[in-house]
Amino acid sequence: MSLIKVDKLSFGYSSCEILEELSFELDSGNFLAIAGPNGAGKSTLLNLLSGALKPKSGSISIEDKAIGRYTNRQLCEKIAVVRQEFVPIYGFSVIETVLMARTAYYSRTGFERKIDREIAIEALEATDTLDFAERRLGQLSSGERQRVFIARALAQKTDILLLDEPTSFLDLRHQIEIYDLLKKMQLEKNKAILMVTHNINLASQYADVALILGADSSYNWGSTKEIFTSEQIEKVFGVKTVKCIIEEENFFLPLGKFAKINQKNKSNPNR
Amino acid sequence: MKDLLTGKKLVLRVLFAVIALVLIMLFCSFIGTQSISFTKVIAGVNNQRNVNTDYEIFFHVRLPRIILAAIVGAALACSGVVFQGLLRNPLADPYILGISSGAGLGTIIAVISGFNWTFLGRSPIAVFAFSGAMVTVWLVWLIGKMTGKHHVTGLLLAGVVVNAFFSAMIMFLTSIAKSEQVHATIFWLMGNMSEEDFSVLWFGGGFVMAGIAGLFYISPQLNAISFGEEDAKSMGINVKGTQTIAFAIAAAITGIAVSFSGLIGFVGLIVPHTVRLIFGPDHRQLILLSCVFGSIFLVAADTLARVIVAPAQLPVGVVTAILGGPIFLILLIKYSRKVGWSGK
Amino acid sequence: MNKWCWLLLIVLCWSAAGYGIFGVGVKRGNDGISTKKEFERIVSLAPNITEILFALGLGEKVVGVPLYSEYPPETAEKLKVGTFWQPNIEAVIGAKPDLIVTLEIERQKYIAQRLRRIGYTNLTVDIEKVGDLFDAIKKIGDLTGKQIEADKLLSEIKGKLAKISSLGKNEEKLKVLYIVQRKPLRVAGRETFVNEIIELAGGENAIGPTIQKYPPIGSEQVLGSDVDVIIEPSMGQNDLEGLKIKAMEYWRGFENIPAVKNNRIYVIDDDTVSQLGPRLPEGVEAIARCLRAGSFEN
Repeated sequence: MSLIKVDKLSFGYSSCEILEELSFELDSGNFLAIAGPNGAGKSTLLNLLSGALKPKSGSISIEDKAIGRYTNRQLCEKIAVVRQEFVPIYGFSVIETVLMARTAYYSRTGFERKIDREIAIEALEATDTLDFAERRLGQLSSGERQRVFIARALAQKTDILLLDEPTSFLDLRHQIEIYDLLKKMQLEKNKAILMVTHNINLASQYADVALILGADSSYNWGSTKEIFTSEQIEKVFGVKTVKCIIEEENFFLPLGKFAKINQKNKSNPNR
Repeated sequence: MKDLLTGKKLVLRVLFAVIALVLIMLFCSFIGTQSISFTKVIAGVNNQRNVNTDYEIFFHVRLPRIILAAIVGAALACSGVVFQGLLRNPLADPYILGISSGAGLGTIIAVISGFNWTFLGRSPIAVFAFSGAMVTVWLVWLIGKMTGKHHVTGLLLAGVVVNAFFSAMIMFLTSIAKSEQVHATIFWLMGNMSEEDFSVLWFGGGFVMAGIAGLFYISPQLNAISFGEEDAKSMGINVKGTQTIAFAIAAAITGIAVSFSGLIGFVGLIVPHTVRLIFGPDHRQLILLSCVFGSIFLVAADTLARVIVAPAQLPVGVVTAILGGPIFLILLIKYSRKVGWSGK
Repeated sequence: MNKWCWLLLIVLCWSAAGYGIFGVGVKRGNDGISTKKEFERIVSLAPNITEILFALGLGEKVVGVPLYSEYPPETAEKLKVGTFWQPNIEAVIGAKPDLIVTLEIERQKYIAQRLRRIGYTNLTVDIEKVGDLFDAIKKIGDLTGKQIEADKLLSEIKGKLAKISSLGKNEEKLKVLYIVQRKPLRVAGRETFVNEIIELAGGENAIGPTIQKYPPIGSEQVLGSDVDVIIEPSMGQNDLEGLKIKAMEYWRGFENIPAVKNNRIYVIDDDTVSQLGPRLPEGVEAIARCLRAGSFEN
């Protein structure tokens, strides 16, 4: 039984098809990177996987049960989502925000239990946000806020984590920290991580499996080594890359027209 | 985690607030155009029909009115909280979804049609105002649902459209009505506190309190929803269900408030923000404290309305605006740093 | 048990308790018609009611009047119980009345109801037309034991009215416009008591029947009305001469209507015309003087 099974999933609006007969599987303890150009349907796929959107045809099953057959409450025990940055209007504090993930488990009086508080603190520690637990969301930098939302997702204690570009606003150190954290979750807690990302190189360093979506509803999935190749990248993104191999790991450097390396490239006819 | 809200903290805060409310209500009931003495009032409690005017004024004129102000203030403040949270719009007030024009239209129809029957002792104006408000909210809800995915925007737009249409209808009917009827409607629409029978206060107050309790029950869900419907859904909240219950309760208690005292503005807008600024945005606290503070605010405003230009009376809505604006500005300046709204 | 069920249960108990304590329906109030006793402390909530009470000889017993009452002069010393538009229920109770007389207009209906529920005796009279005035005088007289005085007052008023009407009996009815507001222009319509006063004075309203009692009219209608006499009330201001000059200036714009051509624009002290009371004959005379000043030279 696979944790997530997507079978011939199709979705689109009357004007266009976004996903066409997409199929893939993911087990727990796996890290899937979802890549593709803008508009290819990455966020849409996440929304379908979290149950927010309904597929036109095809099916999504979580633990062999169709996603439509889960109630909201049941689904929240299986899947947690970190969406792209949302700017809060009202001043909830960090700890309050993270505690909200436990709302489904609150006692009858409408308050969190002791164990919910402990889970929340654990999540804050894991994302290095415990220090400003009592600050309001509006007072944090985008990067800090991002980590708080990740902490919130962790506090849901689900087996599956869906993340939509969680490192888009983070500086290098925090980017790496998040990737390390997610990897830790995968390895230590056996979670399934599905992450939409634009950074192919970091993705290939951390993810085991990759799903690449094309703007023409084409797709391809497999191990990161299989999927992330110069040809695939050029086909999907329309960008030429040069592959470097460092300690048996593949890295891809995009060749922009005016990139320095490309200038040197041009002047050296042997490359 | 000293800042965290716990059950104990909430109970204490609400208790203090309620005690403050009761004291203020008692204090205000001794303020009015006629001076009445405390001892005479107490003396009159046992004598039923006597010429103890102090007692009569206290019991039959002041007390019912103050209790009414408390009920209406609580209802408006609470529903203000709900609409601000659900519509994710800090400028939302209880009337935003057309309740005001719906109630107004109901009133005009009642006045023009000349119905004279009463329902449970309420005048036809009150009944029609309530029905008008409820029908309008239902209509706006329906239209909003038809806009599909972006529920909140759809609701707001539907509210705007319905408001505009009904307002036009009101103006049309007003222009062809006889002048006395028009006066009655406009006077009512300006918001006014009047003395009601205790039975009416009992039932009205009971329903409003039940509504507030219901809103308290769904406060954790409201907290989650204020981050966005999708986010709330992924956290296991039944978003549609919560929204429906919240809207229904908020609309109903606003309808009751409006049928009691016409359209009183600012309470539903200012009190929630004030409580939020001082105590934070957690709905569990916000709902309960807003309703108590709403009561206090309206009781104070009504008392001022009664005495400031004695022997005439100002419409309560005027006082709420004059009082509310500056108080809110002061609080805004003082506390906004603590809250850290986006963009600051 | 589910917390919603608890809530519902509590609401039901609360409602049941409510029915238990208060009973169903509203207790009736007391309108005083059935009681026949001497009233010693009477509160009036309208100036014309005050005038009627004084005219019936009950002036001593009046203990509360509305603010801005001017006639009769004795009212200056009486306790004020709020304005005519906004009677103050506390002041009314504070005057310790045993009878409160109110008009049947919207804004007084509520306070009347309220007072009855508390247990006070309240008499409501409707004074919208001249006929109502006579009924009201009779009603008040009956209730307060002043039937004889009431009859006397009525015959006095009717006698004076007959006399004024007879003065203009054989003359052609002049068309009159009674202006209640200038911007926008509003006049007294056919359904008003002002209209009745105009007719009693021997005139005729220049405009036809309208939906509203005091309709706003446009210049077209003014021109089409062919009005002979225009009367404007002073609305409490004292400088009648100054007001007349201003009025003439305003109406100069309508130089082709008979009223302006013949210089028949008048400003009168409307104290006796703006409300129906025992001084009705004086009001009718004020209007009649504008129509045929000559007849009053005796």
